[in-house]
Amino acid sequence: MMKTVYVCTDSVTGIFSAVYDAWKAQKAEGECEIALCGFMEQQLFCNYAEVEETEKKAAAVEHMIRKHMGTLAWHDIYQAALSADAGKGDAVLGTCLAARKLKDGKKIMEHLGHPKVRKVFELSRRVGNESHFLVEFIRFRELESGVMYAPITPKSHVLTCIAPHFTDRFPLENWMIHDKTHRAFAVHEARKKWVLVQEAYDETQKAGYNEYFQRLSEKEIEYEELFKSFCKTIAIKERENPVCQRGHLPLWYRPNMVEFS
Amino acid sequence: MRIQESMSVYDKLNILTDAAKYDVACTSSGVSRSNDGTGIGNCKLAGICHSFSSDGRCISLLKILFTNECIYDCKYCINRRSNDVKRASFTPDEICTLMMEFYRRNYIEGLFLSSGVLKSPDYTMELIYATLYKLRHEHNFQGYIHVKAIPGASQELIQRVGFLTDRMSVNLELPTAESLKLLAPNKTRKNILTPMRLVQDGMARNKQEVALYRNSPRFVPAGQSTQMIIGATPETDYQIMQVAESLYQKFELKRVFYSAFVHVNEDTNLPARTDEGPPLLREHRLYQADWLLRYYHFQADELLSEKNPNFNVLFDPKCNWALKHLEEFPVEVNRADYKRLLRVPGIGYKSAGRIVRARRFGNLDFADLKKIGVVLKRALYFITCSGRMMYPTKIEEDYITRNLLNAGEKLPQEVVNMGYRQLSLFDDVRFDADKVIRQSGM
Repeated sequence: MMKTVYVCTDSVTGIFSAVYDAWKAQKAEGECEIALCGFMEQQLFCNYAEVEETEKKAAAVEHMIRKHMGTLAWHDIYQAALSADAGKGDAVLGTCLAARKLKDGKKIMEHLGHPKVRKVFELSRRVGNESHFLVEFIRFRELESGVMYAPITPKSHVLTCIAPHFTDRFPLENWMIHDKTHRAFAVHEARKKWVLVQEAYDETQKAGYNEYFQRLSEKEIEYEELFKSFCKTIAIKERENPVCQRGHLPLWYRPNMVEFS
Repeated sequence: MRIQESMSVYDKLNILTDAAKYDVACTSSGVSRSNDGTGIGNCKLAGICHSFSSDGRCISLLKILFTNECIYDCKYCINRRSNDVKRASFTPDEICTLMMEFYRRNYIEGLFLSSGVLKSPDYTMELIYATLYKLRHEHNFQGYIHVKAIPGASQELIQRVGFLTDRMSVNLELPTAESLKLLAPNKTRKNILTPMRLVQDGMARNKQEVALYRNSPRFVPAGQSTQMIIGATPETDYQIMQVAESLYQKFELKRVFYSAFVHVNEDTNLPARTDEGPPLLREHRLYQADWLLRYYHFQADELLSEKNPNFNVLFDPKCNWALKHLEEFPVEVNRADYKRLLRVPGIGYKSAGRIVRARRFGNLDFADLKKIGVVLKRALYFITCSGRMMYPTKIEEDYITRNLLNAGEKLPQEVVNMGYRQLSLFDDVRFDADKVIRQSGM
């Protein structure tokens, strides 16, 4: 029988809609696959099906996963769907199909012998680690308007993982986190819930916005200088150990951090 | 008479950070609290590090002294009264502004406030209290605060500060009372242990209050810690471990920190200056042993003894223990209980837990252990899976030692650099074995 490849965009809604379609068509393991638009390798002997992506389908899949595979598995699958890996859609689908075969679907994440489950586990851990690092290393700058602005360049789509932490921490601040890699914002207005916003402006306006993000408040530079000198002074010269420092704080996080600029 | 010049916050921060950097504890763990929606800040149970300085230590809290003026004359301390260093003091408002501005930029996780003793212990503690009060009540700060209790401060002040802070610590400074007398003439053992006991009792009482009234204020919810300076006085590792153990048992401390002695002052009572730098390997071994006490059910007496009072430079304390107790091995992975698994080199508490859970579904073999996270190149000499060892090996100390060293185990830098040395007049001869044994414990 010919394999069906479901093609969707690189988003959580896209991947879950594809899982929905495969589920509806009652495909078994090995009969179906998910490929992401833009990361696709053409294959022979298979049908390609374009996925119609709707919130409704994604919500239905979320409900199914939560009900049959449990909250912990949902957490792993959701994080895996946020990762930067071309095979993530397929891993999610494979895990859902593998869970169907188990008597107790909630044990699925312990089934690490299954290659797709292991993949989901690895991806989820990677995204979890990256968002944990960013919770530590994000640096806000106060703009002229008083808004706290933090640019980041993460590998995975981590905004939804880190925004709740900062909402709890700074309920009375207006802040936004700008994911430059995926062109998205997490925006929080004081005393309200945070929202996820996709960069919608076109290239001509981009320069204007970038300039807006460069205009800092009066005090900003002063506090940055204070923190820079704090970081320099706190180190004990006799114990210098850059290898240890790199182990805890990898170099690629540093361009967005004030103390290393 | 002193002439007081007005100093910028930038200069003050530099001076008072520089003075605080030798304090070790920079953890923000032990308490979980979310924001009530009216202020700023929250706490995570595991703690959050925000940056790492060039010595590889984490920057989690804004670690500063309130003042580096001090009436005491501790020999090892850069801020001793007889040292001619630039002195500065913050005001409570300056600390609050600095704190809030750093915190909202996500630079730090909270405040670590220590202080030199200005005028008297009570006077200093009062200033610290004023700062914390402003921070908690005027700025509504709900993040993490760690303060040092000043030895000699009154009971009432410590009580009051305890309700504002998350963690409190009193520095033990030196492992034995004799060393303390020698190097910190103005501090006494009693002065240090009294506030420690006070906090301990306060926490026990508070636990009952909280059980009864859920919303009653918390007293030092993240527990207390302390630190000792290693290498300034001739105590052995054995003595230090015994002190640490009794602190954990009798005072219920959360952590004991060890701080390798860094030469900042010249004094006849301090060890002579050498080119070797701070005793980092020794500090590392002490931390390893500290973990064994807290997570691996080891006793200090098992790791070291009067006859064998110092840690092995080549092997970590657990591996060293195993080599000396080969009669306990090999351990059968599929049968041994959790505590016995913990004692195998190469099996940590995470893998031991995973082994116990996973073996319910069936026997484990070496390939499974590898996936679980066991370090087989170290563990293979000490375990069997279903009665079989991984390779035919001899259970002999020499054989295993040789093989472990050959296995490309990464040796500490100090050992790699070890070689013949030119004898010099200034070699530190005060650290001889006899003297060390004569020293008494707590």
